[in-house]
Amino acid sequence: MAHSPEVIAELEDKANLVRRNIVRIFENSKQGHAGGTMSSVDIVTALYFHHLKLDKKNCDWPERDRVVLSKAHAAEAIYAVLPEIGYVPKEMLDKYYSYKSQFQGHADRWCTPGIDYSGGSLGQGLSFAAGMAKAEKLHTLLNPPPLRVTAANIPKLIMKYNPSYRVFCIVGDGELNEGQNWEAIMFAAKYKLDNLICIVDYNKFQLDGPVEMIMPIEPLADKFKDFGWGTYEINGHSMKEILDTLELVNNLYGDGKPKCIIAHTVKGHGIPVWESVHLHYSRLEGTTIGVKEGREIYG
Amino acid sequence: MAKYNKYVQIGSPTATGGAADTAMAKVCQKYPNVIAVLEDMGMPGIEWIKKNQPDHIVECGIAEANGAVIAGALAAEGFMPFLHSFSFAVIERAYNQIRQSILVDRFNVKITARDGVWGDLGISHDIVEGLACTRILPNMVILNAADVVEAEKAYLAMADYVGPVYFRMEQSAPAPFKIFTDDYPFEIGKAYAIKDGKDATIIATGYLVTEAIKAIDILEKEGLDVGILNMSTIKPLDEEAIIKAAEQTRAIVTAENGTVIGGLGDAVASVLAENAPAALVKVGVEDEFSQSARLTAEVDELKDLFGLGARDIAISVKEAIAKREQFKLVRK
Repeated sequence: MAHSPEVIAELEDKANLVRRNIVRIFENSKQGHAGGTMSSVDIVTALYFHHLKLDKKNCDWPERDRVVLSKAHAAEAIYAVLPEIGYVPKEMLDKYYSYKSQFQGHADRWCTPGIDYSGGSLGQGLSFAAGMAKAEKLHTLLNPPPLRVTAANIPKLIMKYNPSYRVFCIVGDGELNEGQNWEAIMFAAKYKLDNLICIVDYNKFQLDGPVEMIMPIEPLADKFKDFGWGTYEINGHSMKEILDTLELVNNLYGDGKPKCIIAHTVKGHGIPVWESVHLHYSRLEGTTIGVKEGREIYG
Repeated sequence: MAKYNKYVQIGSPTATGGAADTAMAKVCQKYPNVIAVLEDMGMPGIEWIKKNQPDHIVECGIAEANGAVIAGALAAEGFMPFLHSFSFAVIERAYNQIRQSILVDRFNVKITARDGVWGDLGISHDIVEGLACTRILPNMVILNAADVVEAEKAYLAMADYVGPVYFRMEQSAPAPFKIFTDDYPFEIGKAYAIKDGKDATIIATGYLVTEAIKAIDILEKEGLDVGILNMSTIKPLDEEAIIKAAEQTRAIVTAENGTVIGGLGDAVASVLAENAPAALVKVGVEDEFSQSARLTAEVDELKDLFGLGARDIAISVKEAIAKREQFKLVRK
């Protein structure tokens, strides 16, 4: 089912709200992973404001869809969303990178409500997402009385549940250099994890330069296909394509295949100066110009 | 004959591997959320699991990096995953994965690994640095049992504890003495004084406790009354017991089947330096790798090569006593 123009327009507005929040984050932090954050904004927006099953009152709801941000340096994109859902106060946008802040330099499960994975060491997120997807299948199979274990509730919390959820994993193109991804890709195919959806934010640049020069990953779609995954290629800045593909993939649940959506994106998308230099990380001057442009565009 | 403390009755050498098998079957029956995350290297109790709970097996193949993170994620969703292999694979190959995807969030993952210099598989498999490289990781609990009784009790205690644990196994030959009686009360984080002594204290872990017991007999013939502190929890370290021993004898020998750099010896050294001055001699592998030795016939050669036998410990005890006199340290 195609999504209506109204839904798409509304989500595009939300994406601009997310960009405005990101500009606010950078305005205060004066630094951050600008390029990879901006390239993932449309994907993150489509997930959080439309596609994910979430409970706005309970970020630990067992039935929630999991999001594993494997490229955890792009945490600012999700940090920009969390206050809009209500999981953290909006003032937290001004405390990115700060001491005792819930917005740490990389996305962390142990301190941020709504974050399911403590990332930052690249190439592990897809394994974690596969593990969570396997856990969902095991819950269905075994239905044990498990312990929900986090740093905060280690000794006490025992819940009986048999939750049903999907796992979305946002992976960077550069981190596909890491061999562990391909271990996870084999694992997911072996265990028929059709509840696992990997979205590659394919912005074509990593820290040292273009992906095709640093370590070519093409033909990427063929690789996922050959490993037994259902694979789709989309424009990662077309809200319509993102939504339609997420729904298409959702409707294929039960086919026994993990899914990969390769989203072609632009590093620094939405801020001209960041787009022009394929900015990876920004400090001071790069941030200042970008923030000024961002304020003019997104208010 | 040396006079040992309560719960100690020295028996003949008994392999510890079977204790872990028995304990794992018990753990699986007690906790329905146990998952065996395999890395193509089996696991304690795996035959029982295959027969009775085959759905609790997740096989990752020879891919330890992925395996460690899968285990972390399963724990995040309420399961109690067990990982097992040689320590070079399950720990060293997946070191950052264990740090990032298990320890940061204190996920309830149990890691059992074969570690130590005893082995016939050569430099790649006979690992000296297993304790040293895990001890520095925050949130990690490390257990290293001395005999078959303690192995089973420690294994069960590992499952009862909620959080990440490394259970070190020296399950290749030689088998340690049966040391403890069945009612020995093992507790994570508590050292146990196998024997008290006024002249010196040997703080030993794992198989080296057996060599320490042999060393006591040698020293007794020379008129020395030496104690043994069994340090089966490497982390969190029982600092109180170490300080007490240091104050009593002011002459400490540590003994471990692994490198003296960063292992038990260095852990004890830090406690002594900060809290209770005492002469210290560390018995363990110097800054070098191990090598193959036929387990049935040649282990004594390895012991001699690395200086890990009872005679080496006895010599070290006398060195420690001489140092104490040289440093003019006074016993309480």
